[in-house]
Amino acid sequence: MSGSVNAELLVLRRRAATWILLGIWTFLGVFFAYILPYALNPEDALGLEEFLPESLAGTLIAGFPFFGGVFAFMLGVFALGSEYDRDTLKTLLVQGPGRTTVFAAKLVALALVLIAFVLTVFVGGAIASVVIAQIEDAPIVWPSAWLLVRALSAAWLILAAWAALGVLLGVLTRGTSLAIGLGILYALVIEGLLSAFAESISLLEPLTQVFLRANGYSIATALGAPAASIESSGPGSYGGPFVDSIQALAVLVVFMLGFAALAAFALRRRDVA
Amino acid sequence: MTAPTSAPEDDLVISTERLTKRYGETIVAVDALALRVRRGEVYGFLGPNGAGKTTTLRMLVGLVQPTAGHATVLGAPPGAPAGLARIGALIEGPAFYPYLSGRDNLRVLARHAGVAETRIPGVLGQVGLSARAGDRTATYSMGMKQRLGVAAALLKDPELLILDEPTNGLDPAGMAEMREFIRSLADGGRTVLLSSHLMGEIEQVADRVGVIRDGSLVAEGTVAQLRGRPGLRVRAEPRAEAARLIGELPGVESVTGDDGLLEVVVDTAQAAAINRMLVQAGVAVSAIYPHTASLEDVFLELTTADGGPRS
Repeated sequence: MSGSVNAELLVLRRRAATWILLGIWTFLGVFFAYILPYALNPEDALGLEEFLPESLAGTLIAGFPFFGGVFAFMLGVFALGSEYDRDTLKTLLVQGPGRTTVFAAKLVALALVLIAFVLTVFVGGAIASVVIAQIEDAPIVWPSAWLLVRALSAAWLILAAWAALGVLLGVLTRGTSLAIGLGILYALVIEGLLSAFAESISLLEPLTQVFLRANGYSIATALGAPAASIESSGPGSYGGPFVDSIQALAVLVVFMLGFAALAAFALRRRDVA
Repeated sequence: MTAPTSAPEDDLVISTERLTKRYGETIVAVDALALRVRRGEVYGFLGPNGAGKTTTLRMLVGLVQPTAGHATVLGAPPGAPAGLARIGALIEGPAFYPYLSGRDNLRVLARHAGVAETRIPGVLGQVGLSARAGDRTATYSMGMKQRLGVAAALLKDPELLILDEPTNGLDPAGMAEMREFIRSLADGGRTVLLSSHLMGEIEQVADRVGVIRDGSLVAEGTVAQLRGRPGLRVRAEPRAEAARLIGELPGVESVTGDDGLLEVVVDTAQAAAINRMLVQAGVAVSAIYPHTASLEDVFLELTTADGGPRS
């Protein structure tokens, strides 16, 4: 298994898409959390304290449930879907480690890469917050280590749930194009529109509460993300209701494991033709 | 026309029983196939496009599940890690990560297979790719990818090689080199299952040949067995008289006409005697020469005729 994980890490490390997604996500994550709102007008928007190091966890994690999720989703699609596109899955499977081992190795490698996706944004955010603090001549006070650990873990879990959805759709559609199309459809149309309508149609509310978006944002708010910024974050906006953070954690874990299990089942059962 | 297929079970590297693959209700890709590949031989798996060769090979390595029947490969069910660890396979063209070099592609496969990466330079050298091993495979020609595919198949130093059209994309020199290479692998004790639709390729390297048509094995045997007994071709006038006279000779099994030529199934050593007899009888003989059906003749006959299995 460790050999297969090393193999998959080599594949992910050398794939341009991994670095492109990481670069764009890091830039956008920091840009939309710090640079743009601060440049527009910090005083009228969220208040200066949101841009200072002490609010690092809450300010950054607000970008994970939607924007970060989309990047993780694409990474998940590429991890499995491109193996079908390029027909490399057959090349891997005839090597002999077994389908479950190959799949598990891909998931582990993906999970490790997602750690980088979390850390780079937090490092970028930390740098931006320090720069803003120096510009504003504000004190540099960091959040507690415990809050940071919880924020980093939650951020990873949110990305992992989205990546698992990408893996599932990559396997089910045996490719990348349709999987990405379906993912965007799900994220923007199904989750986005239904969540928006749920504000006026109460029947939809229980449904939206099991969405990745609702649960991701619920964890984010529990870690200090300002609800006002979530409500006004464009296509990824969410106006609530927010669920209990434990429930949100459980839902995301169930989604992550469920998507992965379904993908593993499909990969094991179906022909590679 | 075919050789007996019975062999001691221990001697069989691949054995299938009524192996069948259907897609939906109407498409039968492989139909109750019984395949026996013996240890140490090069088994040529011949068939026209769409005959079921690749589907069969995919079933043998576990990529495709059979609808019915079963197969044993190196004593294990197809796709079992224990079996795959001893099999090198190149199925339906090589597929590699285009952004990785040839060497790194092999590194990925070696790690998955649990094979020491120290084998990589050796297999790259075997297929003549050492000089380009550091280049991205996106820059490789089809022939180079094919070579890399064979290198990948050799990584595990396998007992059994399953090669699907390995000379696709190679130039004539490369094809000849690959044939020689495959033959050398078998001479080194490996078993090779070689799928192809190229008669010359199979004829030159295979110890035994199986011909598949519409998913079924329609003939199996050595190349010599499939080509049948040699005979004579006679061009003589009047043709009917020549045919009658030859047919009356002892030892002549059959005389048939084809494009002005008489096909005579007889010991070719009798050519001179037949010639003398015909001339003495006043028949004008313009040509008489030994002839053996080519594998291509046999293949075309087997794969285009409506006849049943030749076994």
